[in-house]
Amino acid sequence: MAVNLKAIEQLATDQASLKAAAGLAKPAKWSGISESHDAALVWGECAGSGANPYRVMADLRDLGSKCTCPSRKFPCKHVLALFWLKAEALAPFPAADTPDWVSDWLGRRRTGGSAKVASVGAEKDLHAARIAEPDPVEDEKATARREAASARRAEETERAIIDALDALEQWIGDQLRMGLGGFIDDVAARCRRIGSRLVDGKAAALAGQIDEMPARLLSLPTGDRVRGAAVELGRLVLLARAFRAEPSNPEIRRIITVAENRETLLTDPDTLRVKAMWEVLAERVLTRRDGLVSQTTWLLNLGAGGPRFAMLLDYFPASAGRRGSVFAAGDQFVGELAFYPAQAPLRAVLVGREASDAKDRNWPEDAEPLSAMLTAPLLAEPWVEARPVLLPAGRIGFDRAGAPWWRGHDGAHLLPVSGELGPLAMGSELSRTAGLWSGARLELLAARTPWGRIGG
Amino acid sequence: MAEALLTALAPVLTRWTMGGSAAAAAPADWRGALGAEGGEAELRLLALAGQLLGALTVVEPSGDVQMLPDIPALAKPPLDPEQRPRARRLLLTLRETAQRRALLDLLDRRGWTVHPSDWMPGINENDLPEVYWPWQDWVARAAPQGMDVEEDISTETWDQFGPAARRVAFAALRRRDPTRAAAVLAAKIASETPDRRLLFLDMLAAGLSAADAPVFEALADDRAPRVKIRAAALLARLGQADSGGEDAAELAGFFAVKIKGWLRKSVEIAAQQLKTPTQRNRRTALMDMLTLGAMSQALKLTPEELVEGWPWGGDIQADHALAAMIERSAADAVVLCAAEAMTAQATINLHGLYPLLPRLPADWRRRLALKVLAASDGAFMQALAIAGGDGEIDGVIATSAGQALLSELADRSDAKRTDHAIELLTLGLLASQAAAVQALEKLAGAGLIASDPRLDMLRLNAALDSKGTRP
Repeated sequence: MAVNLKAIEQLATDQASLKAAAGLAKPAKWSGISESHDAALVWGECAGSGANPYRVMADLRDLGSKCTCPSRKFPCKHVLALFWLKAEALAPFPAADTPDWVSDWLGRRRTGGSAKVASVGAEKDLHAARIAEPDPVEDEKATARREAASARRAEETERAIIDALDALEQWIGDQLRMGLGGFIDDVAARCRRIGSRLVDGKAAALAGQIDEMPARLLSLPTGDRVRGAAVELGRLVLLARAFRAEPSNPEIRRIITVAENRETLLTDPDTLRVKAMWEVLAERVLTRRDGLVSQTTWLLNLGAGGPRFAMLLDYFPASAGRRGSVFAAGDQFVGELAFYPAQAPLRAVLVGREASDAKDRNWPEDAEPLSAMLTAPLLAEPWVEARPVLLPAGRIGFDRAGAPWWRGHDGAHLLPVSGELGPLAMGSELSRTAGLWSGARLELLAARTPWGRIGG
Repeated sequence: MAEALLTALAPVLTRWTMGGSAAAAAPADWRGALGAEGGEAELRLLALAGQLLGALTVVEPSGDVQMLPDIPALAKPPLDPEQRPRARRLLLTLRETAQRRALLDLLDRRGWTVHPSDWMPGINENDLPEVYWPWQDWVARAAPQGMDVEEDISTETWDQFGPAARRVAFAALRRRDPTRAAAVLAAKIASETPDRRLLFLDMLAAGLSAADAPVFEALADDRAPRVKIRAAALLARLGQADSGGEDAAELAGFFAVKIKGWLRKSVEIAAQQLKTPTQRNRRTALMDMLTLGAMSQALKLTPEELVEGWPWGGDIQADHALAAMIERSAADAVVLCAAEAMTAQATINLHGLYPLLPRLPADWRRRLALKVLAASDGAFMQALAIAGGDGEIDGVIATSAGQALLSELADRSDAKRTDHAIELLTLGLLASQAAAVQALEKLAGAGLIASDPRLDMLRLNAALDSKGTRP
């Protein structure tokens, strides 16, 4: 079972695909490249523009393939690059046990012949794709014009955001005047209206947060919703004020408008980079009202240095279909993360990870008292919806109404729990629990029990 | 301090709930920070109050918080981490209860159990290997109406259990103290719905003893016909057959009995020619209602003579009805006698045999499953239905069915290329460990790669030897 350059050329849909694949057919762009013991399957992970790398897999028997990137080309540039690495032996492909995500794909494949060769008429030349094109030379005047236009756009964006935040505060004042009782009864429609205004005002990220407010409020018990509404709306006021006070603060901008792109983050010399042993706590995939799917992966730092938690966040259109995760909950790996700048860094991108024989390393012990862990982050960043916490030994119990609570063994802390709980979460000691604490609810991400690790 | 602040904010929240300005109701210490301008003061108050309410307040539980008991460790260890992903994938794909039961039985036989993270029984599952009963007990206790009762189920506590928890608690009592369980059921069964009366009767069918008779006698005149029939059938299994009265006599009229031979007499039963569908339906209805004892008595035969003299293979519908009657109401020896008679025919009537399967011993079913696989038109699904969870058949890939599967898999032409996932799954459920290893070697030769998830069941089977150890 083998692939050659001719086959890659025939598979590519166009020259642009080959060109893009040439740029990716470099071992430095990949991690986890392997093949099955019978050399029929190959797979690897390729860095993309998002927080997570893409998973790429192929069956060399018929050159069938799959990639988790959102490209509509088939095969995509990542698959072509993987074939290229194999065909020219540009990287080693050590034999390994087939991971679950490759087996799952194999099980879903509809076999019935080889991968299709792209249309014969398209002119594709693999060797031409390899030749790097020189960077275009720009004259000084053109550079100055480009930079001035960029500065104008930035000014206009900032004005638009300020105007949108003014409209937001006006809207909040209106809700207080009309009554929060009525607001809760009509929350979806009212949030939709202000959300649209914010999108028009370039505050897309904030609009996304407001889009999800109805779901958050309505998941609270009825008697708690007015308090919840005051918390949510108060948070928006704090955010608006924080932006006006410091419009260039990247952390605030990220919550209001858009996050810095991966390239900007990685080229900034001040970016916090942490290489450590990480454990994948859980993944959350949420389809948003705006048609985007958010994929959030929570990581726990098992070492001593750097932030205790990391959050990898990617968005992709719902039309791109189901996208496999790079990680399995419970995976432990050595990897380097680059954190977006923040007071308490959390959001990050995965720079690279190493193959390791990581065994089941224990979760770290806490130095801080639990009360401080639960309140300090929310006081420091009052606009944040929830922060990850690592709880000491405890157990889940149920009150008379059947609502679940986490109780610490010290007896001093009783935290209401949200979300579905599996049998092991309800029926065993939780020696450590990782969860998202919103100030009002704990959502379990993972826990350690006598039966092993649960959650995810 | 937080308590005092929360109390101070209560009027603020009240005003905001109804609508209107709340700045005047703010805590006195805050008024300076809020400022004098109306709209701005409201927003500042909201920012401060929201942060306080979000970071420093947590609702109180409704009543005491009770912990559930620990999920108990089972008598056999959970699968080791290397095998768990495969087992987890299989549990997700096995949609049919019978297939899942076969997987659980295979693990059980080899000395393993599923990890509770990967699967736990539902509260309403009736068909579980015994090793998982403690987990079902736990699930029942964890159910909303299962938590309050600490003691065994009894006539006094019967109604305190929710319906599903009641079934599980009764099953637990039946295992520990069958006599007491029968006494409790005799007292309480009439208060259950017809469906649940049938459910409880079926629970007594396993481990039937004379102590259960009062339960069946209490249901002799049950208002639901199917409950009455089931109770009579179970009494018949205890040797207390009724005569069947006029119904039995009517059923006997559909058959003619010939006695052949001088020295060694044999019975030959012939079905009367049925002229109309109404007659056929009536005959079937009578057979569904009566016990074997009643029918044989009406024909002036013993149950064994009836079974041995029956014209098996002559009428599939009648065969099936008689087999169901035998399963329902005959003693174990008669059940086996019927199965032997049916499989002695040139062509095995599997449709007629299926009703008897739950009462046939494992080794007998295993032998028959192998016979089915060896037949030229044998199919894996039929063999699995016969063997149930008691596979461990050697040499499966060498049978006609196995060779046919290898041949189809090796055939690369598109016209014959099908999934064969079901056949490979059932092969994995039926095979002994050695047979699974052998099958994997042959399948690799037919072109299947080791990573193919269709081989998950065979690979799991091949990886597990007995007593919960790795090969």
